[in-house]
Formats: sequence, structure tokens, C-alpha cells
Amino acid sequence: MSLAKDFSNGIYRENPVFRLALGLCPFLAVTTSVENALGMGAAATFVLIFSNLLVSTFRKVIPDKVRIPCYIVIIATFVTLVEMILHAWFPSLYQSLGLFIPLIVVNCIILGRAEGFANKNRVLNSLADALGMGVGFTLAMIVMATFRELLGNGTWLNINVLGTSFQNQPVLIAILAPGAFILMAFILGFFNIMDARREGR
Amino acid sequence: MGEILKLGFVLMAVTLAAAVALGLANWKTAPVIVEQELMARQNAMTEAASVLAPGDSLVFDSLCVQGLGNPYALVDQELQVVAVSSPGLGDLGYVFTAYGKGYSSVVQTLVCVDLTGTVAGSVVLYQQETPGLGANVVKPEKLIGQFTGRVAAGILLKKDGGEIDSITGSTITSRAVTNSVRLGIEAMGEAGLFDTGEGGAP
Repeated sequence: MSLAKDFSNGIYRENPVFRLALGLCPFLAVTTSVENALGMGAAATFVLIFSNLLVSTFRKVIPDKVRIPCYIVIIATFVTLVEMILHAWFPSLYQSLGLFIPLIVVNCIILGRAEGFANKNRVLNSLADALGMGVGFTLAMIVMATFRELLGNGTWLNINVLGTSFQNQPVLIAILAPGAFILMAFILGFFNIMDARREGR
Repeated sequence: MGEILKLGFVLMAVTLAAAVALGLANWKTAPVIVEQELMARQNAMTEAASVLAPGDSLVFDSLCVQGLGNPYALVDQELQVVAVSSPGLGDLGYVFTAYGKGYSSVVQTLVCVDLTGTVAGSVVLYQQETPGLGANVVKPEKLIGQFTGRVAAGILLKKDGGEIDSITGSTITSRAVTNSVRLGIEAMGEAGLFDTGEGGAP
């Protein structure tokens, strides 16, 4: 498979959230604002790239029977490194991303791609896959966060869109946990309708 | 037997490499992080106390107060009072950190009170509350801005019979911060730190 195809794979055809239903925990948790979605997306993509690179590089050295513990150690190490580096040298970014960074460890997209792709493919392809999956994850979160921030807070990327009168009485459920599930159902339903149409043709 | 040894060896090599990488990173970043936190604290103290002496430089001295209770024992923290003064105006007030157990973290709020126990300003130092909800506590206009100009008795949520509006959808966070600030000021009052106008205070 070509590199471009590996990259574009993650954006629509195998979008990690909407198609593979991976990484739902951080997806539902942090999509309360577009700013958070961007931050989480960037941090997850960064870890995804390095874990895919390392797993792919050592795919012949790591024995099959202990591959999962090895991947988890690699992922946890990178997440901790990211946290330390941000905390020390990018304090303002750390302030806004603080909670999400430890969440990346439990983001199953990263383990899923290590196991499902990097494990069996060459380094360059794994890099393309990580980039595609990262971009796909970020885009999915931006879509969801757009709905939630607009409805629940009347803003988009902290810019007031719907006016102060709306902000005084927002659809609060959109940024609360139940709203995340309800909106998720609508978005997944939309994707299923698109699929059904395509197959019917 | 041989295979188990080999698997164990690979796992050990991986974890050892991870430990070395993390150790190195920690050795490099730990001092920078400590410095960052000290600076953030210093900036917050200056920000919270700035209204007491506009344009004047501020001096902070840690105080050891006799008979000061500790309202933060539940969250394993201690009430520590820092005196604020300026070269031009003398003693101005006190700064302390309030610790309140919120929804998903212990929120730390730095509060500055003047010599009568009235809040002059406050800054949230640390929180890990829900992004988009409780995390709004860092925005002064949402909650902590309302503390300014009030004494301990006035720092109570409307839901609890007071006058402070809580953050929409985040009562737990709002209550934690509000109560921790009030308890801190009350403890300082009980220790006789404030000049209540009755001539009793030193």
C-alpha cells in the first residue's frame, strides 16, 4: 500500500473514532470545547507518531508473546516524557492540557495502531499511518467539539458566535456527559446512513 | 525454560530503557519545573495583592502564627500565612493558599486579604477540574472575582444561603473553592490576625 493511502486511511475510511470506535474515552471527555479538542489531538498525534515509529522499528526484536506489555511501556514512557517536557518548558500549554496528557495512555487508538499496523508494517508506512490516524482523530474531535461548544456555550474556539442572550441560557446538556453520548449517537447515525446509501447504489 | 528467560530478558531490557529515558528526562526537567512553580506562585501573589499598593513594590514574609487552626487537614494540606507589606505603605495584609476538594482535584486558590480580613484579590493556582465546566474556575469573572471586597461571612454560595453565584454546571467545584476560601479567612480571624476595629488586635 502506498504512503498516501496509509495516510488518508485514518481520515475517513478508517477514521479512528467514527469507524473503528477507538479512543472514545478521551473523545467523549475533552470535546467540551474546540480548544481542548485541538490540544488533545496534537498531544495524541505526537505520542502516536513516536510509538508507531518505535514499535515498527523493533517489530522483529520484540517477541510476540510479550508484545502488548512492551507496547504499553513504550507508550507510557512517551506520554510521561511529553508531560515532563511540557511542564518544564511550555507551562502555559501544560496548564491547558494538564489533565489530557495522562489520558493519552489510555487512548486505545495508540495501542490499537501499534498492534494493528506498526507491528506488521515498515517504518515509513507506520509513520504515514500514525499521521493519518492523528489527523483523523483531531478532525473527529473538532467536529464533535464544534457542536458541543456552540450548543453548550454559544462560542466556537472561545469566539462568541451565538450572542450573549444565548450564552445566558445555553443548552447546557451539550457540554455535560450525557450530551456527549447523545451527539455521538447522531454523528454515528449519520455515518451509517452515508454507508447505507453508498452500498445501495 | 529457555523461552521464559528470553521473554523476561526482553521485557527487562524494554523497561530498563524506559526507566533510563525517564530518569534522564526527570533529572533535566525537575529543577526547571520547581522554578516554574515558584515563579507562578510569586506572580500569583503579586497579582492577588496588587490592588493593595498600586505601583508600589510588594514584600512577602512567611508568618508563624500562634494558635492558627488548620481547616485543610482533610486534604493533607496546611494553612500557611504570608504577610504582605510595601516599603511605602507598611503592612498591607496577608496572602494564603486555600485548598478545596473539588470534582476531580484539590483546587488551590491563592487569596489576598487586607488587614481587616476583606478579600483584595484571588487567583487559582492549580486545578484539574472538568474541562469546559469546573475548569472555568480559573476565569476570575466566573467565581473568584466575586470574593473581592467581601469578608469571610459573605463568601458563601447562593445555594448555601450566601450571595456568590456558582459556575453553571459546576456546583461541586464552586462550593469547594468558596468554602475553602471562607474557612481559611475564618481560621485567620480566629487567630486574631485581623484588625476588627475593636482595638483588640495588635
